[in-house]
Amino acid sequence: MNAIEAEGLHTYYGKSHILHGVSLLVEEGKLTTLLGRNGAGKTTTMRSLMGLTPPREGSVRFFGTKTTHWPPFRIAALGVGYVPEGRRIFPNLSVEENLKVPLERRGPWSIPRIYKLFPPLAERRNNRGRQLSGGEQEMLSIARALLINPKILILDEPSQGLAPLVVRDVFRIVSEMRDEGISVLLVEQNARMSLEIADFAYVLDDGAIVHAGPAAELARDEARIEALAGATAEGWEERVPAA
Amino acid sequence: MLQLILFNVFNGLIIGAFYVLLALGLSMILNLSNVINFAHGNFLALGGYLAYVLIPYVGFWPSLLIAPLLTAAIGFIIERTMVRRVYGRDPVYSLLLTFGLAFMIEDACRYIWGVNGLPLTTPSSISQPLSSTFFFITAYRLFMVAIVIVVVAGLFAFLRYSRMGMRIRAGVLDLDTVSALGVNVKLLRSLNFAVGIFLAGLAGVLAGGQIGLNPNMGDSLLLPSFIAIIVGGFGSLTGTLAGGLLIGVTSAITAVFYPSAQQAVVYALMILVLLVRPQGLLGEEGLVI
Repeated sequence: MNAIEAEGLHTYYGKSHILHGVSLLVEEGKLTTLLGRNGAGKTTTMRSLMGLTPPREGSVRFFGTKTTHWPPFRIAALGVGYVPEGRRIFPNLSVEENLKVPLERRGPWSIPRIYKLFPPLAERRNNRGRQLSGGEQEMLSIARALLINPKILILDEPSQGLAPLVVRDVFRIVSEMRDEGISVLLVEQNARMSLEIADFAYVLDDGAIVHAGPAAELARDEARIEALAGATAEGWEERVPAA
Repeated sequence: MLQLILFNVFNGLIIGAFYVLLALGLSMILNLSNVINFAHGNFLALGGYLAYVLIPYVGFWPSLLIAPLLTAAIGFIIERTMVRRVYGRDPVYSLLLTFGLAFMIEDACRYIWGVNGLPLTTPSSISQPLSSTFFFITAYRLFMVAIVIVVVAGLFAFLRYSRMGMRIRAGVLDLDTVSALGVNVKLLRSLNFAVGIFLAGLAGVLAGGQIGLNPNMGDSLLLPSFIAIIVGGFGSLTGTLAGGLLIGVTSAITAVFYPSAQQAVVYALMILVLLVRPQGLLGEEGLVI
């Protein structure tokens, strides 16, 4: 069974048409990455999957259950852990309180186990969210998603704004989660590092999937990764025929 | 003179306690659902009338709990059937809806219980003055203050220590993320609304015992409660608490020296606070308790 099956998603913000028929699959137990430059529609895709910005057309299934038009909390209750873009920790709550917000689904994750995995959070348990560093906020955001004992973890640009060393840590934890049997959908701009840990990769550009294939294969294609990094002004589409 | 000032300060605290009960509920609903509930004062009246109906059957003390609970249940149903439809829309919709609700509840009370005021009988054991010098300190008034203290402390503990309280505080800033973490935010908003209405219903029973019941008894309390929220600072329930007591006492002390300014001073206080500290006394981003 697939963890996520999204078919033909068309999503709008008001009148702007952002996603033009995005389809993607996340296999159970695999780490799938969705790459793309700024403004490609990655976050909109995540929000469409989570029901935060419901698609106008298309369908979403989590573990075979059709969730199109469900509110986010029902989708999450299926076992979907969501780490939003910008981390979105609750700044006015303490670390410990942040960890008590998620729905308590049964499973191996508990607050003591979280503190073992992320010792800095244990040290700062009584600090407010707004007092944490970027790396600590990222840990807290991942911890929060783990506490609903997810079957799939969806992370939206966890490396954003973090120091390279911290990014390493975050990516190591993400791949450990996959090894624990949690399916992962990792949305990233940082193509090189994501491809190192991912099993399968999609590339999104201008609201459409422009590439799908094994991560290792994409990792060998320097030209494409250059284009993804956004270092060149050329469009992704122009690169595709060359491949 | 001293006695007169004390009398007014005490009176001000009592009025302030009503403002606090109303304002805390208004504040909770406004913070989580972005709805300004203009029917809040009418829920207060409804609470008083329900107690009036219940007292002959179950007595005063149980009514003090049951009437606000029934009011909260009615609030819960109204939220589920009507108020939730205006969430996320232009604020004009929620203003129109709650204005309409205010008239509907007021007229329902008038239709059922009549235009004239009704007395709410309080037990004789707590109606006597405690001393002849401080004749204004009846046991009922002391008891009212005690109830308000207990309820406010309970509310703050609920928001501070319970998971639901944490979810409410988190939802004030970012309800989407709370929902994405699996929390049923529809139910959370309904329950939060009901808690706010419970406080209004309780204020209604207490006020009924003090000044009697009439269909628009909440009207004169509602506007100062809004001001208490502004003075205390949006999002800060401690601020709302301080704001309610402050305007109650300020208004009562003004009544000693310059009675005709008793109402105006409340607005003057609001203007002063907004000029000096526009975010309110304890205003800060997020729900802080």
